[in-house]
Amino acid sequence: MTMTSYVSLRRTRRRNHALTYAALAVLSIVILSPYFWLLETSFKTRVDAFAIPPKIFFHPTLSNYIVAFVDKGFLHNLCNSAIIAAGATAVALAVGVPSAYAFSRFRLRGGGLLLFWLLASRMMPAIVLVLPMFIVFARLGLVDSYPGVIIAHVTFDLPFVVWMMKGFFDAIPGELSDAALMDGCSYFAAFRRVALPLTAGGLAATSIFCLINSWNDFLYALVLTGRNTATLPVGVAGLLTPWGTYWGQIAAVGTVTTLPVLIFAFAVQKYLVRGLTGGAISGS
Amino acid sequence: MEVAGNSAAGLADMTRRRYGVRRPRRETLAGIGFHVPMIVVLLAITVFPLIYSLKLSFESYSLVQTGMNGQGVGLANYSRLIHDPEFWNAMKLTLIFVFVGVSVELCLGLVIALLLQSIEGGRRIFVTLLMIPAVMTPLVIGLMYNFVFNAQFGLFTYIIQRLHLPLPQGLLGSKTWAFPTLIFTDIWEWTPFMALILLAGLQALPEEPFEAAQIDGATGWRTLRYVTLPMLKPILVVAVLFRAVDALKEFDKVYILTNGGPGSATDVIDLFTYRMSFVNWDMSYGSAVGMVLFCITLALAFVFVKVTTRTSTG
Repeated sequence: MTMTSYVSLRRTRRRNHALTYAALAVLSIVILSPYFWLLETSFKTRVDAFAIPPKIFFHPTLSNYIVAFVDKGFLHNLCNSAIIAAGATAVALAVGVPSAYAFSRFRLRGGGLLLFWLLASRMMPAIVLVLPMFIVFARLGLVDSYPGVIIAHVTFDLPFVVWMMKGFFDAIPGELSDAALMDGCSYFAAFRRVALPLTAGGLAATSIFCLINSWNDFLYALVLTGRNTATLPVGVAGLLTPWGTYWGQIAAVGTVTTLPVLIFAFAVQKYLVRGLTGGAISGS
Repeated sequence: MEVAGNSAAGLADMTRRRYGVRRPRRETLAGIGFHVPMIVVLLAITVFPLIYSLKLSFESYSLVQTGMNGQGVGLANYSRLIHDPEFWNAMKLTLIFVFVGVSVELCLGLVIALLLQSIEGGRRIFVTLLMIPAVMTPLVIGLMYNFVFNAQFGLFTYIIQRLHLPLPQGLLGSKTWAFPTLIFTDIWEWTPFMALILLAGLQALPEEPFEAAQIDGATGWRTLRYVTLPMLKPILVVAVLFRAVDALKEFDKVYILTNGGPGSATDVIDLFTYRMSFVNWDMSYGSAVGMVLFCITLALAFVFVKVTTRTSTG
């Protein structure tokens, strides 16, 4: 290759690179602009929010947040969301993690079928399960109670925990727990003291994904919660009424709803592909 | 990158066979012990509701409506379903939603993944930005697009006016445009994540075939067509299946953006089922539709398992 063609090749490559960066930058702006607009609107007064052309620079106000969370009681919805997400995550972990360990460590007849059922449960549209649940819960007095909607959320969190944690347990060498057993540990102690500490990172990531899944759920909460237990998504949907819509407050509640999710997601970025596909694809 | 299978348990088995260690009965018992709580909970919260729903689907039942007290009606709900044009409309819309949405997400996602793969610095920043839509609360995404497409002050409405695009002001109120707009929001939500899955797949590919292609003088396009895509195929299939299953149960965005309207232009199947069960309060008919959805889910889960186990062993 002659010198000139080498130089020109490098030049085209550099130009291509610049184009790639430009394309990715435009793409990021397109993707993020609706979200930025939501954030902006949450700090706008009613007049600024309706201004045409849309105002980019304006005098920010916190009044939307104060009205929504203090006066309209969205603080209560925020607590409900947190209680329900924490409850469902705790139950799913307590029940699912030992089972995931067993799937990874022991061969069991019918294990394949059980894993298949877990996968199918995870894929199941919420509407299929929420209908019979609503009727049963109505009879048991569990509608508009924390246990009711927590049980409902376990239907998607539990299969998720088993599939995710099975992947993490698969990655640790079986010899370690075998050695523990030789040393006289019980099966449970081998799980508790050897396997569990080794998958601490995975366990943390799995819990965070459970919290996000539960926090983001709308349909189960819409049907099974009521005045006392409505989560943030259910509450904020109620602000969109035919009689007038409080856009600023919707934006404020929307911002507060997404913020914890984004923070948590940054924390588990490494496991994102794996987590959002329910352990089906384990990213590098 | 690997597609999950049950390789580790298999490995443990092989080791045992090789060293002649017999699997003691105690171990089987321990395995069952670890599973018992999960199985009990799963029976209570998935199997029982499904059986109950199956029973309901052969009855006429409503918590609210009078005269529907659970009397048996045989297959009436199912025959009604077969002859219900609204049901078929919902099925058709859902299929279009899944097919168009996932196809566009796949193509755009692949392009973005290839762009991300080709840059050296700053990939992390883009990846971090791209994950935002996928983790955002879907209902808030719906509300956000309610802003964007609002007929009076929406950002997009403003753009339409400024560029004099031949589009109506309130896209969501238009019979023609509401459904494409919904598909657009789904594409916005999931294309970046599709790109992240495919990027993870690309990064896990071995280097050698690409070097060989370069030595053979293959152009970029030919390399993509004959080297990259065939090697990426397992992950493409899993990603598409995964997304399709998810798009089939779309509810949140449609509920908040159009609630099925105008007319029934955006009435996807989950929304239809919800309306039958909790607006019309015909819970037995809702159960019948639910059973159909359940069968579709089982079939898809079966395909999913077949595909993933094949790719992990092959």
